[in-house]
Amino acid sequence: MEQGVAVVILYPIYSSMGYLSLQSGFGLLLSLIIGSFHFTHSLSAQSCNLTIKGRVINAETGEPIPYANIIIRSENIGTVSDDQGNYVLTDLCAGDYTVVCSRIDCDHAEHHLSVENGAVLVQDFRLQPNSIELGTVEVTGEAVHLHSISGEDQLNQAEMAGTQGINLGESLEKLPGVNTLKTGSSIAKPVVQGMSGQRILIMNNGVRLEGQQWGLEHAPEIDPFVAEKLTVIKGAGGLRYGADALGGVILVEPKALPTAGGLHGVVNLAGFSQGRTGLASGILETSVGKKLPISARIQGTVKRGGNMRTPDYFLENTGLEEYNYSWALGTKKETWSAELYYSSFFSKLGIFSGAHIGNLTDLQNAIEREEPLQTGDFTYELGRPLQRIAHELFKAKFGLKTGNIGTLSLQYARQFNRRQEFDAHSGYGTPPESLDDPEIEFEVTTHSSEIDWEHKPIGNLRGHIGAQLISQVNTTDRGALIPNYENLTAGVYWIERWRHYPSPFELEGGLRYDIRQMDVGMQGRDSIGQSLDFANFSGALGLIFKQPAWRARLSVGTAWRAPHVNELYSDGVHHGSASFESGNASLTQERALNTSLGFDWQPENRPFRAGLNLYYNQISNYIFLEPSAEPVLTIRGAFPAFEYQQADARIMGLDARASWDLNGQLQWSAQTSLLRGWNRDLEDHLVFMPADRVSTALRYQFGTKEAASNAPFIRLNASQVFRQSRTPAKGDYAPAPPAYLLLDLEAGTTLNLGRQPVELGLSVFNLMNTRYREYLNRFRYFADEIGRNVSLRIKVPF
Amino acid sequence: MNQILKFFTLGFIAFSLIGITACQKDDDDMTDPGNEQEVITTVQLEFTPELGGDVLTFVFSDPDGPGGQAPAVDNIELAANTTYEVTVEFIDNSGSTPVFITDEVQEEAEEHLVCYEVTGDLSPLTIKDQDMNGDALGLIATMMTGDAGSGDLTVSLKHEPVKDSATPCSTGETDVEATFQVTVN
Repeated sequence: MEQGVAVVILYPIYSSMGYLSLQSGFGLLLSLIIGSFHFTHSLSAQSCNLTIKGRVINAETGEPIPYANIIIRSENIGTVSDDQGNYVLTDLCAGDYTVVCSRIDCDHAEHHLSVENGAVLVQDFRLQPNSIELGTVEVTGEAVHLHSISGEDQLNQAEMAGTQGINLGESLEKLPGVNTLKTGSSIAKPVVQGMSGQRILIMNNGVRLEGQQWGLEHAPEIDPFVAEKLTVIKGAGGLRYGADALGGVILVEPKALPTAGGLHGVVNLAGFSQGRTGLASGILETSVGKKLPISARIQGTVKRGGNMRTPDYFLENTGLEEYNYSWALGTKKETWSAELYYSSFFSKLGIFSGAHIGNLTDLQNAIEREEPLQTGDFTYELGRPLQRIAHELFKAKFGLKTGNIGTLSLQYARQFNRRQEFDAHSGYGTPPESLDDPEIEFEVTTHSSEIDWEHKPIGNLRGHIGAQLISQVNTTDRGALIPNYENLTAGVYWIERWRHYPSPFELEGGLRYDIRQMDVGMQGRDSIGQSLDFANFSGALGLIFKQPAWRARLSVGTAWRAPHVNELYSDGVHHGSASFESGNASLTQERALNTSLGFDWQPENRPFRAGLNLYYNQISNYIFLEPSAEPVLTIRGAFPAFEYQQADARIMGLDARASWDLNGQLQWSAQTSLLRGWNRDLEDHLVFMPADRVSTALRYQFGTKEAASNAPFIRLNASQVFRQSRTPAKGDYAPAPPAYLLLDLEAGTTLNLGRQPVELGLSVFNLMNTRYREYLNRFRYFADEIGRNVSLRIKVPF
Repeated sequence: MNQILKFFTLGFIAFSLIGITACQKDDDDMTDPGNEQEVITTVQLEFTPELGGDVLTFVFSDPDGPGGQAPAVDNIELAANTTYEVTVEFIDNSGSTPVFITDEVQEEAEEHLVCYEVTGDLSPLTIKDQDMNGDALGLIATMMTGDAGSGDLTVSLKHEPVKDSATPCSTGETDVEATFQVTVN
């Protein structure tokens, strides 16, 4: 049959009925860019030009349901409902069909239809939201998180498939406006619109990650295999999650627990040429019991790699080991749900030994050398310098739903984080029995609890009111880099969203108030003994205007952040960067006012898609390290001195993406991120701002009729990163590295071995083995970035 | 109304319980960090004239470590046209009793190298001692002065240098880099 076929993959949708349309808009765009959209023109005879159309609505509320699948079962033809719930199936031949409409969080509906010549058949579907799905409590909440209005981007499962095995920061780099701040090849911190570290919140399965995010060489302690979906909320929109999120919020969300019986799971295996890295990750899940259904999941990942290699030489001591596991237990009844979750993350990372320096002269020698002195050979062995990081998370969550009042959820979580850093060698006078001890050791324990009430819709208003309490203790067991401290943070928030269908306008607003108390104790042999209090408001307001082919979004948000303990009290030589850093105990709160304007263009039945996001972030009392005029003279030589200071700053930029489906098989896409950071008081550029970058890709899909996610494909991506010419006048030891162009290749297919599907993926990062250095890598003084990396991934779902 | 009340009472109790848990503190939270390491606070140079005479001692001292008080540095004054044997001591003076770190440098001689760099009118020093592999160590050196003049002498202690490199003094991690002003009369 020659027919127009529109098969759109249904990416996992967790939001409540009728309220996901906006937040999923970008997701759909992503799905389309990733290449699941086929469109072939009908060349068929006259009789095959018939149409079925209609609308999918929520049987309970009467609201339209977007992104429902409408499939003609016998013909293997399908489409998806649009934002208004409308769908059209065209180019049908006369005949009798069974049309099935379904969505992941609804019961499905079927209609038997006879299509006759000359008629346009109208058939509406009424779907019943299914309340059996676990996680619906959370899900309903998610709809009102000011996601869409602040502008968000997602990596869904299909896209994450291509990133499996790399760390969280690097996975997120695929999204426009997201970069990483690296230390060598294995430590990557996400940077969202120029901001990182304490200015970004990372929500790990609904719990705010409390590790030791203050250091530049501290990567997020998360196993990306836990996540099914990664979402970045840009700007100051994450009111629900906490203060501090001046730059944005990263949501790491696992799949909902299974509700169906039987034992299911996934096995992932991957191998990388770089570091001869191998990894294995698996998930096992099941659900038992009818009256009180219990769902359970266990998950684990093992990863090991050796020395990485640049195009010309090995990087000594750059291997890593990672051992992670997690389990979840849940139950869900009509009116309540409960969930327990535990995860353990352990990693052991070698720090590139060529970057270990004692003073500024060593650093200058290293920069002049251009190539590390000792390049060594391949080995899996990890020597000093070394980091060992353990992170544990335990979470208990309870949800209660009543028809009259809304949904109440309670959550308690405990996190424990231990970081051990081993210098290149033990210090002088170390007794032999403690030669294997770390030089630096911190332990952070965090208890957090929250209550969230999603009220029953009042007219066209939906909203959340909630509170959070976080208590944190840091114990520095070795080293005196930061003092011991205790933190107590309490916050309340209220978020409302207005939408009156079919008005093209949608309005969202929220307010949050937080207080933070910090007691600071001993730092090394000195007692600081200070108590600091901070309190302030955050808020956001957004407006969306939607038309069938495009939508526009304007949002204004404000967020604040209390200075962190390292900014207040750090004192000493930072050996990694050969600088003497002084904290500043008189720092006050930082506040950002973020304005962003977005356009998304998705014309119906046309192969083009485009999106544009402009932002302007004005930050008062921006905390940064200012180079001092006089170096500090020590017995190790003179070190350039830096002191934490505050100034008014602004960061503005543009993220854009576009795609064009050339003929249903060949697809072109492009994206760009431009950013400018400016210190208004010093009239100088901000340090560590990502350079402008643009990338473009061609993707070819073999065959047109298979389900999109199964079709073999090949994708070639070219990324051009320009030289960062906007760097501060003082304080850097070497100029920013030159521009570079990287080519990446990716291919994938699904084999069916009997009834067992096996997903295969091959990717080649840095195809041309280009020699380059990246401005945002703190080890750019010492060595090149890694060269070509070929990886092979196998995924077996069962 | 009753239902609403029940709903919020339940919520409040649960939240309070959580809050109480959250506020509990461990006993040893704010204790003094252990494992303090020794630091080199003092570099002491002794100049012994080869043909006899008084031993001259000069010190670079920073007892409170990096930051805080600036280091105190003696000016080195030497006689013209004299050959001196130079020995160096690295000392930790931060505690109540001095700890001689030179002993540890000597024990791990293969992992250490003392380098001497001169500027101005001074002529380079010659290292006299060796480690077990026959490579230079630098705890003992000789210096020959010429006519009256001045310059800087920088003493540095390298940890894990590449001793077979062409320029071993630009390798390794620098643990000490102390610069003295030298006047030759």
